[in-house]
Amino acid sequence: MLQQVLVVVLNVALAIHIGLIGISVYRLWRGENLVDRLIGADLVTTLMLAILVLIALIELNALYIDVALGLAALGFVGAIALAKYIADERMF
Amino acid sequence: MDDIRTALAILAILIGTGFSLIGVIGFIRLPDVYTRLHATGKVSVFGVVLLLVAAALITPVGAGRAAVLILLLIIGGPTASHALTAAAWRAGIKPRGTIRDDLERDHPREP
Repeated sequence: MLQQVLVVVLNVALAIHIGLIGISVYRLWRGENLVDRLIGADLVTTLMLAILVLIALIELNALYIDVALGLAALGFVGAIALAKYIADERMF
Repeated sequence: MDDIRTALAILAILIGTGFSLIGVIGFIRLPDVYTRLHATGKVSVFGVVLLLVAAALITPVGAGRAAVLILLLIIGGPTASHALTAAAWRAGIKPRGTIRDDLERDHPREP
C-alpha cells in the first residue's frame, strides 16, 4: 500500500517541479537585468537536477543519479564562470 | 523495516518539493537581486538534497552516488550563490530598500 503512495507522491513531485521550471523560465524571460537572468538559469539547472533525481526514483535506476552528478558539476562551474564574466566587465 | 524507509522517503520528497516551491516563489516575488539570490540558494541546497536523501533511502544501491552528489551540492550551491552575489555587487547593482551600504564604505568599488 505504501508503495502506491510513494509512486503517486513521486509523480506529483515531478509535475510540481516541471511547473516550477515553467514559471522560472517565464520569469527568466522577463528578467530586468543580466544577473536576474543568470540566477534564473542557475535555478532552472537546479530544478532540472531535482527532476533527474525524481526520474531516478520513479524508474528505480541509479544511472540518472550519475547524470544528475554531471549536471550539478557543470551547472556549478557554469555559474561561477558567468559570475566572473559579469564582475569584471560592466555590460549594462 | 521496508515500510519505515518508504515512509521516510515520502516525507523527504514532500519536504524537498516544498523547499523547491518556496525557492521559486521567492525567486518571483522578492524585490531585488540579492534577496532573489537568497531564495534560489535554498532550492539547490535543501530541495535537491532532501530528494537525494529519499533516493538513498529507496534505492540503497545508489546510496554511494547520492552521497557524493549531496556533498557536491552542499559545497557547490552556496559557493555559486556567493560568487553571483559578489559579481552583482561589483557590477554596480544597488540593494533596494537599504539605508546604507557598509561594503561600499569599507571597500569602494574600483571604477
